[in-house]
Amino acid sequence: MQQMMWKEKMTMLNVNYGKMIKKNKKAQMKIQQMAFMLIAVTLFFVLVGLFFVVILFSGTKESAALLKEEGALLLVSKLANSPEFSCGNAFGTTKINCIDGDKAMALKDNINTYSNFWGVQGIEIKNIYPKNQEICTFENYPDCGEITLIPGTGTGVSNFVALCKKENIEGQIYDRCELARIVVYYGETD
Amino acid sequence: MIKNKKGFQVSFAWLFAIIVGAFILFLAIYGVIKILNTGGEITSVKAGAELGVLLDPLETGFEAERTVLLKMPVETRIYNKYNTYGNFGKQIIQVSQKNWGKWSQTNVDVSFQNKYIFSESVVEGKNFLIFSKPFEFPFKVANVIYLISSEKNYCFINAPEEIEEELLDLDQNNLLVENCLAKSLRVCFDAGIGPDFQECDISVDTGRREVEKENQTMFFETDALMYAAIFSDKSVYESQVKRLMKRTNELLLLYDDKAVLLSAQGCPLDVGLLVLRNVVNNVQTSEDLVNAANAADDVERENDYAECKLW
Repeated sequence: MQQMMWKEKMTMLNVNYGKMIKKNKKAQMKIQQMAFMLIAVTLFFVLVGLFFVVILFSGTKESAALLKEEGALLLVSKLANSPEFSCGNAFGTTKINCIDGDKAMALKDNINTYSNFWGVQGIEIKNIYPKNQEICTFENYPDCGEITLIPGTGTGVSNFVALCKKENIEGQIYDRCELARIVVYYGETD
Repeated sequence: MIKNKKGFQVSFAWLFAIIVGAFILFLAIYGVIKILNTGGEITSVKAGAELGVLLDPLETGFEAERTVLLKMPVETRIYNKYNTYGNFGKQIIQVSQKNWGKWSQTNVDVSFQNKYIFSESVVEGKNFLIFSKPFEFPFKVANVIYLISSEKNYCFINAPEEIEEELLDLDQNNLLVENCLAKSLRVCFDAGIGPDFQECDISVDTGRREVEKENQTMFFETDALMYAAIFSDKSVYESQVKRLMKRTNELLLLYDDKAVLLSAQGCPLDVGLLVLRNVVNNVQTSEDLVNAANAADDVERENDYAECKLW
């Protein structure tokens, strides 16, 4: 009799234990499902966020490049009149868009001081008429046609100017003005 | 009475979902705030850079007394900062704009070596008046730029005729020479006795070449620096004067090299620049300007009579 009761008890326990295992497995599955769902939702929001960030900031680089170009265009149109280049009254009356070649050569000699002064990548002055492509050094000046102040890299914009210098012809000092182009290189945005 | 003895039971799945959900929400809100702040900062930096581009023609231009009206879409603060290190020092601009009633915070500086902006340390408004004037000492050193908020009115009392004409030419509503408004800042020239000279906010003594503002004295040479002293804070004025003297010194070096180059062409060395260079190098405050101005006058005279003019 006792043996019968013990057997019955054991059977009941086994049934309960089996039910618990079944229940636990179901809960684990639910938790796993939820974890995967949450990861998926997080990833979804991250991707949507990234998409908006890309759209929001996509114009920044273009704006920077545009500003640089605009700055270079405005600078090149006025640079010849800045004190480091302008003729002033050194060649008679005050002239607009006139570069003092002698001063530009002096500037070439001191260019390390001015490397970041105008915030551009390069500045060159090139003779147009009479055509002379010889690069100016202190040895061949004033019989030369190109004054490279900062060797140009990147994109260049230019403006027409008068390039004036003092010249000694048979002991007499003359003013010689020629047609030239000042080129400003503003480079690419990093 | 029947009591509910079951209580409230939170399953692990619910707890897990609440914690992770809260974390996701926090991340999303944090991200959005960060993006908005960065966007505001970018807008401020862009405005600063655009302002720099706008000032380019004023700095390198040949024209005297050009005016530009700068219109901003929202309330803007322009911080005029500077440093005086190196060969030229730096003009630093920071722009802060009002968004949703809050000023955008920015630590990004937009800096220029070739600009000299005279203004108060912080200029606030929606519209700004910018004008420039060449500073010659004795050769052209730079175009100095004046920045004023359109909301600020200046009334010039007893100004010399040429100053009055210059101000009338500028044709700006906030720079008056007569019919002063009650809220105007009163700028009195060579203050005398009378009702006009009472309650002067700024006093200009053209004889002693000094401007008194908020119990502080600034000294000037040339009209360009007189306007600069009127429209600036003392700290901005003194630092920009120092920067201008640095550029004068660098230009003197150029003219020195040019003189050597010309002498090789047969031009006599008629202009002595050494004295002016020494004096300019020793200018520490605007009070020292008077010595430099005397030396500049001597050099100008020499250049006027030189066979080959340096400028």
